[in-house]
Amino acid sequence: MIFVISFLVYFGLDLTPGDAVSHMISPELAATITAEKLEAMREAYGLNATFLERYWIWLTSCLKGDFGYSMAGGVAIKDIMVKTIPATLELSIVALIISTILGCSLGILSALKKGSATDSGLTVAGMAGVSIPEFFFALVAILIFGMHFQWLPVGGRLLPHYENFLDRIPNIVMPSLVLALALTAGAMRYSRSSMLDVLSREFIKTARSKGLPEWRINLLHGFRVALTPVVVLIGFRLPLLIGGSTIIEQVFQWPGIGNMFIRSVRASDYPLVMMISLMYVFVVLTASLLIDLLTALIDPRVRLGKE
Amino acid sequence: MKTNSLNKKFDKIRFLEENNKLVSKDQNRLLNKFLNNKLAVLGLILFTIIILATIFAPLLSPYDPLKVDLRSMRQPPSLDHWFGTDNTGRDVFSRVLYGGRVSIFVGLGSSLMAALIGLAIGCYGGYRGGWVDVIALRISEIFTSFPQIILVLLLVSITGQSLTNLFVIFILTGWGGMYRLSRARMLSLREEEYVQALESFGISTFKICYKHMLPNALGPVMVMITLSTAMFILTEAGLSFLGLGVQEPMCSWGSLIKEGAEIMEEAPWLLLFPGVLFAMTLFSLNFLGDGLRDALDPRASKD
Repeated sequence: MIFVISFLVYFGLDLTPGDAVSHMISPELAATITAEKLEAMREAYGLNATFLERYWIWLTSCLKGDFGYSMAGGVAIKDIMVKTIPATLELSIVALIISTILGCSLGILSALKKGSATDSGLTVAGMAGVSIPEFFFALVAILIFGMHFQWLPVGGRLLPHYENFLDRIPNIVMPSLVLALALTAGAMRYSRSSMLDVLSREFIKTARSKGLPEWRINLLHGFRVALTPVVVLIGFRLPLLIGGSTIIEQVFQWPGIGNMFIRSVRASDYPLVMMISLMYVFVVLTASLLIDLLTALIDPRVRLGKE
Repeated sequence: MKTNSLNKKFDKIRFLEENNKLVSKDQNRLLNKFLNNKLAVLGLILFTIIILATIFAPLLSPYDPLKVDLRSMRQPPSLDHWFGTDNTGRDVFSRVLYGGRVSIFVGLGSSLMAALIGLAIGCYGGYRGGWVDVIALRISEIFTSFPQIILVLLLVSITGQSLTNLFVIFILTGWGGMYRLSRARMLSLREEEYVQALESFGISTFKICYKHMLPNALGPVMVMITLSTAMFILTEAGLSFLGLGVQEPMCSWGSLIKEGAEIMEEAPWLLLFPGVLFAMTLFSLNFLGDGLRDALDPRASKD
């Protein structure tokens, strides 16, 4: 699958106007340079080979770990990735942890109190979390907490002289909370419906008729079963670890991979655009494989099916 | 004596049936269920108001959204300018309405088109299978391997940015989901007896598939259209916010929020009004979609 996609992406980028040589030569030079010289340069960089040959060369060098160079500044794409991915992971792991814990507990709470004021309040709040675009929420948060009260820095990740992790906490609070907001809402709705589904099953009635205390029924019997789809949901969220924070990174000037991606799209830095999007695809495909394995691990029925 | 009362009962049923009252009862049930869901009705009303407001924007707002008026720069909301004015004195209220036109048009239009394409291929593929199905399934797999925003950004970088390109890109990214949904629905419908009955009559494949089966697959697709409209509006706003969506002088909610963000400390109304209206639109669409899903889902009727 990933080969098919890499081929398509390469093909798409091949259709974009201009080639590497025309990007390398400044406009002033382009007026004076001769056609033969241009041709010689193209030959030297292997641009005159057929499309398939070039794709093959590119593919093999990628597999060897050589991802090529960014067109802006000529930095190796590998270096860019090594630098930006940890920043993104840091941000989104924090957001994922917050949103999962908060979302699950709120969802189960509202399932247990179905029909009450708490439940409908949480439902509306959850819908608001899904509906309000995260960048709008981020801007309002910056306006209130960053500018009006000046409690938190408005953006960035590392300030000079603030090297250890504790000093960086204020910087991560706002972006990660904003990012967690939409995710929390999703997790909440999901765990609510999953818990409701479980609570209406027969074995809960059995547990109740045995005279078990209510909290035992809910936590030990209900929650354990309701957890399965929630774990699957977390699996689905794994790609979000590096793909979900794109816009938030831009708003908070977080130096992550999403920020880099947007910058490269704006600058038409095609090699970089291509490599980053291929990396995303790779992550998504790996994650979907992981989900399959995870469900087989957790859900006993899937295991039974194999026997 | 007994036969007489039975006869009366049958007469009653026949009378109802002849007046088409038996059929409409089932549809009423769906409608009632939808109307009982207060949030969904609220969503429908809100969305209708917003759409009407954007359609009749010229009547509602006396100002031209593009007219620069340097004498009234950055005015806070007042009776003259309900939502205030922006950096160059343009009226924010009319800009929000006209921006909503673009946003909703892109969102609704592309999700309808995507649904049309997805349904057309999905119905045929789900019913007949064959090479059409295999190819379409592979292609939609390719599209779903990207995180959505990344795919959109990638396509924008390849095609360049314009309103038509946005349409094409959204349709490209959206049809896969519709296709899979309608295909899955058709796969289960295929096993039903009425389809076998139609087949045994020798009715043509196209007629069975598009005339008899398609209406039964429409329910979930309707829900998906509503929800994906919300998603496309959101994505478009994200793109415009990043400066990769619609171009000046055209504006959408995303680009208005972007403009507002640049001077939000001095003129917060530039950010708040488009943002709030935008959030309200998505809010109403999501509630509408949820309400539709609940009304159409036969399993949920037990609660």
